[in-house]
Amino acid sequence: MSKKPAVCVQIEDDLLATATGEAGPSAARRVETHLAACATCRREYQEYRAVDGAVATLRDEPIPNGGLAEAREQLETRLADLRGRLLTYRIFPSPLGHILIARSELGISLVEYLDRGTSLRASRLSHEPGVELVEGGGELEAIYRELLEYLHGRRKRLEWPLDLRLTRSDFHRTVLQATAAVPYGAVIPYAGIAQELGKASAVRAVAQALRWNPLPIVIPCHRVIGTSGDLTGYAGKKLGLKQKLLSVEGIPTTRRGGTLGIASQAMYILYPGEREYCLPTCPSFDTHLPAPLTRFASREDAEVAGFAPCTTCRPDLHPISH
Amino acid sequence: MRQESFEAVISSHHGEIYRYLQRVIGRSGDADDLSQETFLRAFRAYGSLPGEANVRAWLFAIATNLAKNYFRSETRRRQAYGEVRATVREAEDPTPEAELASRQTEAMVEGIVRRLPLKQRLAFMQRKIHGLEYEAIGRSLGCSADSARAHVFQALRKIRQTLDGHGLLPKEPQ
Repeated sequence: MSKKPAVCVQIEDDLLATATGEAGPSAARRVETHLAACATCRREYQEYRAVDGAVATLRDEPIPNGGLAEAREQLETRLADLRGRLLTYRIFPSPLGHILIARSELGISLVEYLDRGTSLRASRLSHEPGVELVEGGGELEAIYRELLEYLHGRRKRLEWPLDLRLTRSDFHRTVLQATAAVPYGAVIPYAGIAQELGKASAVRAVAQALRWNPLPIVIPCHRVIGTSGDLTGYAGKKLGLKQKLLSVEGIPTTRRGGTLGIASQAMYILYPGEREYCLPTCPSFDTHLPAPLTRFASREDAEVAGFAPCTTCRPDLHPISH
Repeated sequence: MRQESFEAVISSHHGEIYRYLQRVIGRSGDADDLSQETFLRAFRAYGSLPGEANVRAWLFAIATNLAKNYFRSETRRRQAYGEVRATVREAEDPTPEAELASRQTEAMVEGIVRRLPLKQRLAFMQRKIHGLEYEAIGRSLGCSADSARAHVFQALRKIRQTLDGHGLLPKEPQ
């Protein structure tokens, strides 16, 4: 077998590239010039052209589609199952300690204070049955930024789509839905939530439901307190966090003896079912039956929530001095 | 976060990925499973995929990775090569009818491609059948774009040599 001339060896890559549509214009020109003078390479070029033609036939040959529809159907079924189980999570630092945020395709499903570590092992998710976890990337960044803005008092609403799949029962779900409606800058007693749900005696059950709130901060269970004004409890024994969250909203707290509570006399009050908010000294106070009151830190918060100043005590003319 | 729904991703790319894996794997049932797995893996990571990412190249990379894992199993590799040999033998059977020559060439090329080393085969499929860029192919194979190109060229050389050895290439310049 005769040895290939060096010039032919050098141009072989370009020749192959040109014959198979892979070459740039300058390589193609070099090849064209060479082919005009080299019969051996012309033959090689034609062979690669034939190879390219055979590959094109292969490319254009339809693969039987019989299985495609069935594979797509199976994929849809498996995807539906995965969608029902998949949660994407990330752990972020915050002024309240490390927080895990998890979301499903439907919405945010967990906001969790991690007080036993900074990894997934410290989360309730690591024991949650029927859940598949994936560590998320940028998709949770925006949520985290909004959460930080909220915690720094630069945002009053967290309008995230929520997925309540991690609630423990339908009753817990209704408690959370009622709690989500408590306005920014307001507090309401557990008894108030129970009354709203038409289960006035279920105060302890309401407290228990909020203890397992999978979405603290965004479902503001920190705005639910004892009838006496005591903060009572938060996510187990995290009363300090509850106080911080209330102070972000401008809700004054005070320590009475060893107990943390809101400073009731420094807040506006709203009777259940009323559309007007009052001063705590409103003369019409005595005309109402004892009831679980909603209290507002400021007139602005009460009015943003859709309430008007009482026309008897006129909190608009005589605002509480802080 | 990406705007395109995952349903749209499936609609746009499932058929192509399915065909790619059919060609690479050669075994229909396994290719079905791997095409489904490609999209389930993609779904898990879709939310964190940067907005500017090339979804098609990303899906090919996932499918390629799954194909590599598939062939990593020695037993399966032997099975796959056994099948390829059978396919090639069938393709090599002489057919006297002239009109069958091009079909023979096509079957021969398919057989040669299936017999290529895995990286060459994956690079060849992605480039010559599905038209992906060498950069994307390199990323899916864990090598440079130049290496991906070298794999494809090596595959083309082998096809030419084998077809030539069987007298299936033109003898004179046209």
